[in-house]
Amino acid sequence: MMRPGRIAITGVGETPFVRASKQSLLEMTVEASAAAIADAGLRPKDIDGFVVNRNSHAADEIGFALGIDRRPFSAVTDTVGGTGPTGSALTLALLAIEAGLCRHVLVPYGFQATRPGGPYGFHSREPLKADLEMPVGYFGQAAYFAAMANRYAYEYGLSEEELAAVSITFRKWAVLTPGAQKRDPMDLDGYRRSPMIATPFRVADCCLMTDAGAAYVVSRAEAAADAPHPRVLVQGLGLGTSGHPQSMMFTQAPSIIDYPGRESARAAFAMAGVGPADLDLAQIYDGFSISALIQTEQLGLCQEGEGGRFYADGHAMPGGRMPVNTSGGHMSGGYLPGITLLIEAVRQLRGGRGEAQVPDARLCAVTGLGGNSHATTILARD
Amino acid sequence: MGVPNFPPRLESDLLRPFYDGLAKGELWLTTVADTGEWIWYPPEMVPGRPHATLSWARASDTGTVYSFTRIERSLLPGDHKAEVPFTVVLVEPDDAPGCRVPGLFVSDEAEPACGQAVRLSPVRAGDHMVAGFSPIG
Repeated sequence: MMRPGRIAITGVGETPFVRASKQSLLEMTVEASAAAIADAGLRPKDIDGFVVNRNSHAADEIGFALGIDRRPFSAVTDTVGGTGPTGSALTLALLAIEAGLCRHVLVPYGFQATRPGGPYGFHSREPLKADLEMPVGYFGQAAYFAAMANRYAYEYGLSEEELAAVSITFRKWAVLTPGAQKRDPMDLDGYRRSPMIATPFRVADCCLMTDAGAAYVVSRAEAAADAPHPRVLVQGLGLGTSGHPQSMMFTQAPSIIDYPGRESARAAFAMAGVGPADLDLAQIYDGFSISALIQTEQLGLCQEGEGGRFYADGHAMPGGRMPVNTSGGHMSGGYLPGITLLIEAVRQLRGGRGEAQVPDARLCAVTGLGGNSHATTILARD
Repeated sequence: MGVPNFPPRLESDLLRPFYDGLAKGELWLTTVADTGEWIWYPPEMVPGRPHATLSWARASDTGTVYSFTRIERSLLPGDHKAEVPFTVVLVEPDDAPGCRVPGLFVSDEAEPACGQAVRLSPVRAGDHMVAGFSPIG
């Protein structure tokens, strides 16, 4: 079993969240990586491990740009969406560090959602989607998750106000967050003015289109003792999966609203030796309002079927009992899948988030959904 | 309602019997050849049975709506602004429960309800037919 407290996140870095970046994907990824390495109080040559994403640049290209010749350990995560850059990357980093292969692992990521094809190209390449779904216009993540929202509403009940409360909650945090992409306050009337895409989803129910780089450094816990910031230890890691591949899961999974989030949460809490009631805050992968709502239930922040009520009652808002997505998440902050939520968790646990700081934040969960995979990560201030 | 015009790519012949069926007003889905068990979408390999093959069988025309969404902004590649709105349904045929067929909702109503009974009603889109389902009763 993986042991808690063996690794720490010592450095984080991002480039500005923009649309239509003039920088290349490599430039943004390397800039964020250099920032994360400096934030950890390290030099590039101190990095001796890489965990990269299959949709991003490879370790040799990033290493070359950073002036790193030696790569005793490098790996690629095999999960997509929010799972890869969070729980999957941390699991690989933990294994490599525990095996003595390396001391400081860089996890770099870059994304250019505004390039032609954007986040949809991945789906249009699937032959089954091209033959069975695209001809009837069932295409794009917004459509898939909208169908989930309608199914959820059928099974549990979900009012417009409850669904809107998810978007409104994350917007409230974005208002407090310099660098968030959507900082205009939004109430229920503002939500209702947001254009409809696929019922019940408005633009405000969907994650943003973002070009940016982000990165973090994972270090052996002892090696992190003299890092410039308070140590943020990785206490729990859990991964859940379901059976249907990406080409089929949005239609043929036994339940399209049952993500493998309970499985990942159970494993992560068991490793950390804590439960949902011990958390001070959470960062929940919000590709869409409904998926954040369902994962909120699966993480154990409320009962199954009560996610809408949880958000409508304001529990996740600033000043609420369980703050969620304190930088605006992916729907109001910016969309670099999973990794920016993890970085926000680190910043909260370090205690430097200004107006958005959750008082005495010591334990934070981060979730990542990758369609048929799900990661739950428990981070703790030392 | 609008009708998206995005012909199936059909890079292989795998799904051709599905479209041949729709052209005749019939719903044909795949089964595991030796057991007759429905298996949908047709996978490249049958899970856990690397040597099993697929065959096609006619499914019932009637089924229930598993879920739906009304598309007001199409995300299909290209310009499809003139084709919205339309409503997509995922339908479970009565004799193939758990198999979900994406189709257009053919009705004066904007949206169905989950659990609503529907009947196959293929829709012409340009030069090809696509799956459609209309309410029963």
